[in-house]
Amino acid sequence: MADREPLRRGVTIGLIAFAILTYLILIGVPTRIGAAAFPVLSALMALFIFAMLRNPMKGYPAQRPPSRIIAHALVAGVVAGVLTAGLVWLFTSLMMDGVRIQPVFDQIVPQNIAALHGVSPGAVANGEIAWTSALLQVGMLALAGLAGALLVLLNRSQSAGTLRDLHIPGTKWIVIALPFMLMALVVWMGSPNVTIGGNNAGTIRLLLAMITFGSGLFALRQATGRVERTVIGVLLAAGALSMPFILDQFQNSVLGLVFIFAMMGLGLNIVVGYAGLLDLGYVAFFAIGAYVYALISAPMSSPFMIQQLTNLGIDPSTPLLSFWLAMPLTMAIAGLSGVMLGIPVLRMRGDYLAIVTLGFGEIIRLFMLNLAPLTNGPRGLLNIVPPTIGEFSLGTPRYIFLLALFGTAFVAFAAYRLNDSRLGRAWTAMRDDEDVAQATGINLVRTKLFAFAIGATFAGLAGQIYAARQVNIFPDNFTLFVSIDALSIIIVGGLGSIPGVILGALALKGLPEVLRGINEYRIVAFAALLVIMMIVRPEGIMPAERRKRQLHPDDAPPEDLFTTSDDRVAPTITLDERSS
Amino acid sequence: MTLLAARQVTKVFGGLTAVNRVDLEIEKQMIASLIGPNGAGKTTFFNCLTGLYKPEMGVILFDGTSLIGRRPDQITSLGIARTYQNIRLFNTMTALENVLVGQHTRMHSSVLGALLRTRRTLTEEKQAAERAVELLDFVGLAGEEDTVAKNMAYGDQRLLEIARALGSNPKLLLLDEPAAGMNPRETEAMMALVRRLRDELEITVLLIEHDMRVVMNVSDRVSVLDYGEKISEGTPAEVRADPRVVEAYLGPGAQEEQANADPAPA
Repeated sequence: MADREPLRRGVTIGLIAFAILTYLILIGVPTRIGAAAFPVLSALMALFIFAMLRNPMKGYPAQRPPSRIIAHALVAGVVAGVLTAGLVWLFTSLMMDGVRIQPVFDQIVPQNIAALHGVSPGAVANGEIAWTSALLQVGMLALAGLAGALLVLLNRSQSAGTLRDLHIPGTKWIVIALPFMLMALVVWMGSPNVTIGGNNAGTIRLLLAMITFGSGLFALRQATGRVERTVIGVLLAAGALSMPFILDQFQNSVLGLVFIFAMMGLGLNIVVGYAGLLDLGYVAFFAIGAYVYALISAPMSSPFMIQQLTNLGIDPSTPLLSFWLAMPLTMAIAGLSGVMLGIPVLRMRGDYLAIVTLGFGEIIRLFMLNLAPLTNGPRGLLNIVPPTIGEFSLGTPRYIFLLALFGTAFVAFAAYRLNDSRLGRAWTAMRDDEDVAQATGINLVRTKLFAFAIGATFAGLAGQIYAARQVNIFPDNFTLFVSIDALSIIIVGGLGSIPGVILGALALKGLPEVLRGINEYRIVAFAALLVIMMIVRPEGIMPAERRKRQLHPDDAPPEDLFTTSDDRVAPTITLDERSS
Repeated sequence: MTLLAARQVTKVFGGLTAVNRVDLEIEKQMIASLIGPNGAGKTTFFNCLTGLYKPEMGVILFDGTSLIGRRPDQITSLGIARTYQNIRLFNTMTALENVLVGQHTRMHSSVLGALLRTRRTLTEEKQAAERAVELLDFVGLAGEEDTVAKNMAYGDQRLLEIARALGSNPKLLLLDEPAAGMNPRETEAMMALVRRLRDELEITVLLIEHDMRVVMNVSDRVSVLDYGEKISEGTPAEVRADPRVVEAYLGPGAQEEQANADPAPA
């Protein structure tokens, strides 16, 4: 009985893998990827097999001997491989016999099949397909199975702590050096005589720049000790701030948006991640920030503003306030609207809160759409003035990116300090158990309203920068999908984790741009990535780690409190180790 | 001197009167116990005291201040703290952080103070952390500061709840079945701790407990609830001898059999 088990389980996984592969072939993914189609699909299947074996399905014990896992994965790979090879062979021979399958499956064209065989489209029509290519496909998927098994074993030993306990000496420094090496690569790719990547050079460079930012966050986490942390932090900050001056317009534009969303994510993270209040209408505050700045900066688009200003004898064709002077006002109004949303929903929890906030987000958008005298309705507010320093305009993607970087740094700093305070503890306590938090002396009204207000303030700031970036804003910029994006960012990145949110923004707002290479399938590919991500690592890319609250040795409490502490083994925190 | 005076407290859920005209007076620095069969309304009475429920009728005076209509957090800052029958810690926080949250009402730092890390905020945080370490030490959790609450042993979680409650510097501490689920040795330690709360910290304790050894051992005064009504009150010895109490626990006519009944309040 027990010996047949790997076979059964493996066949099941193999069949599902085959179904996915068939679907991908039928929608014509191979054509999009080109010559490397089968290796890419195999790699995808390796990830799939990993996810299936790692996430124990019904009745699959988590701890298996390695040989068992390898057997499962191998069976799965071979099954998927044989079936796929058979299917492709069937398509090929039918096509050679002159049968036209295209009317039924519009993507079964010579190009698509040829990509799977790694030959030119003409070869399929002429029947010049070697039987070895079918063998190659089986082999490739078997290899994918093996890779999946190895990933499972690697992942398991890592979460069991065995890899971490190895203490390979230099690993820390490799992680710390990585962003700098990547940055050098990004700089090098930008020099005029480098032709790597051909048409895709810009996208590849963008991806590299994003990975540079991501690895920088990991590097910062590796640094220990005050001095080390400061030095590396300063170096990384210098690197980040020079990024806008290294990259070209397209890359700056994408990363500018990424960091605007990072700011939003950090704000929403306070509401959802820290205080545990599920807010689906967060876009409202982003919209309010953008519209307030737009009205201040470009009153000419708003009939109401023109009339009022003319009555007051102010020329409506010039901005009322500069970007910088408008900033506190925008943030204050956004924060106030956060309080206004907060008051009616104080007593609501969970799903109910989500629905009400969802409604609030839509109400604000509909306001923008229908309050035409003020907001100019669907025609939007136009010609928003970019920030300037003296006469120097900061309206180009480069400076918007720089501005977003500064904004993200400010928001991250504020979020960090607030979370590490009395208020932050109250938020966490409220998230863990609202009733007990109140009975422990926490004023829920104040604590909730602070969360809403601070979250909204950050979104308002992001909205203002967004308005300056877009120049013209319309109600359509602020749909429900912006809220969902922001929420996905913090969930994918790691709820409650500041670097996690920034990573999430890079992944969710940056990757779709990078994936433009695969055209209309980018959304499918992106969705698949999200699903895999949530199965494999539901806690997010970089989950919040409960800080060890250390009392500094120099301001330690009186001696008698600690007399026994030396004898004890330091307690270890295992919160983030999910038992799988 | 009377610390807590509850008169005619009544709480109704639909057609069920969970607490019916209960009078209770607690003197300063004593250990009072509230006992009664399951469903007698003990925890409901606690919830009325701490503001989680609003009683339909009655007066509750704490140190001369009325508690009726006050929010739980206001009542906590007046000086009443509690623990829960089914442990309710802040599970994702460390032991130290739990006690720091307990001190919430005794701290004053503002949002701006937290953002700018003013000297005042830093001093306050440092003092709070020191106090938290002291309190953990007091309940016997020294060295567990950085352990995440949900990873702690069951008995330790009960102790941490008490430490968290002590964080608010309460005058009155309400303990809801502190010894539930503990083995005899842990129970012994818990009784010693309850006495130390009174003797060393000068805190008044009101305790709900099912373990009669604990009740009879530590209490200065015992009140008995049955079907929401107070049926008896007095010293442990008086209550033990009260036929109404025996009846409430074992049913009518059970008095002769009480020698065999275990774990009867004998």
